[in-house]
Amino acid sequence: MKCERISELLPDYLQGSLSPDQHRNVEAHLEHCTDCSEEVAVWRKLSLLPVEQPSPMSRVRFEAMLQAYQAGRSNQSAGDSAWGKRASSWNFFRWLRSPLGVAAWSAALLVIGVFAGFRMAGPKPPSPDIAEIQKQLESTKQLVVLSMLQQQSASARLEGVSWSTREQQLNPQVLSALLHTLRYDSSVDVRLAALDALSRHSAQPQVRSSVVNALQEQQSPLMQVALIDQLVEWHDRDAKPHLEKLRQSQDLNPAVRQHADWAISKLN
Amino acid sequence: MTLAPDEDLMLQVRDGAGEMLGVLFDRYQTPLFNFYSKLTRDRMRSEDLVQQVFLRILKYRQSYRPGTPFRAWVYQIARNARIDHFRKFPREKAFEPEMLPPVRPTDSAQEQQEVELLHRALLQLPEDKREILLLCRFQELKYEEIAELLGCELNTVRTRIHRALQELRKSFHQLTQDRLKPANTASAQNLPPRGGRHEV
Repeated sequence: MKCERISELLPDYLQGSLSPDQHRNVEAHLEHCTDCSEEVAVWRKLSLLPVEQPSPMSRVRFEAMLQAYQAGRSNQSAGDSAWGKRASSWNFFRWLRSPLGVAAWSAALLVIGVFAGFRMAGPKPPSPDIAEIQKQLESTKQLVVLSMLQQQSASARLEGVSWSTREQQLNPQVLSALLHTLRYDSSVDVRLAALDALSRHSAQPQVRSSVVNALQEQQSPLMQVALIDQLVEWHDRDAKPHLEKLRQSQDLNPAVRQHADWAISKLN
Repeated sequence: MTLAPDEDLMLQVRDGAGEMLGVLFDRYQTPLFNFYSKLTRDRMRSEDLVQQVFLRILKYRQSYRPGTPFRAWVYQIARNARIDHFRKFPREKAFEPEMLPPVRPTDSAQEQQEVELLHRALLQLPEDKREILLLCRFQELKYEEIAELLGCELNTVRTRIHRALQELRKSFHQLTQDRLKPANTASAQNLPPRGGRHEV
């Protein structure tokens, strides 16, 4: 049997849906055709690709979305829909175990409360408005970021910072929380992540000035180098005097001083 | 844990049992996430897209008809969500090796290498070819369901799968050959010093 004929049968062979005769024919061909047998081998190898797991936040977000939707529904027609009546039967407890879960849930519940209150008080005709729910979901994300940035554990705060990068536009509160993190977080990793997150929003004047100011405040050489790199990346010529000032600091790490010199030459 | 078929659960969701969507979420969030993450190599976007799919299920739940295979229906929604998302937010990231997921520590060295090369080969395929392989190999959709999803004939699906697999085989073969060559082409003099990523 020729390869062209086999190619018609191969997809069904791979799914095991050929007749026994056709199956035998394909197997016979595979024994002496390298290309076709390699195709089968590659197909089988695809099963080696690992199954990736979404983050636990994914479930929390889903639940917040569903609650928001149900709140909208039950307001729309109190009594005529099963949505509002049914109590949720899911096991939330495993999500509540971690501090991350607590933070996320607090945020989610706050949004649900605000949402429900808004729906009850609002003069608009109550209808499940998807656009509005999406708006609420955006707020959920922001609240999740805000509460995660205040967690005890550095990894939770790191996750909070990484969450903030999902947004194209930063809400002013999240921006201000990130700027605070950049200056005062106790973990250098979290501060570095905050710098990375903020670097996407260089159009905001606050961001640039905070990065320049942080240059004088930060004591960690790692952070100093990252800040210098950022200013060079922005080609921020106004930063030059600040870099000069930094390089004259007495107890500056020599590698940082060298890096500042390099940056000054780049900005010239 | 309910063992009810997806279709029954979706009918219950349609008729008002919102909590049943949680069961469907548990069944589908990982496959959907993998569909998106293997297609886009972007975990965050993939998670956002999974949320979009479930929001759309709620939005369009009244359009779900008894007898429609849920899996096919949900992947129709998933494809549309992705198309709409990338229309709104065009991709700025090209594939970079560090975007590959971490290899499990239990894997043998040879297996690790094969997984990495296979990932690369898959990412080198045009998106439509990668998508059709993902749909039939990982999402376990039947060819008939894929035909309906893509709006084409069953035979076209078979041909496309075969072409995608041929291309994947060539790519994988090429990458394996490249790996066997000695790595002497990278010139050290081009390596930038510290801060080199800013050299323009």
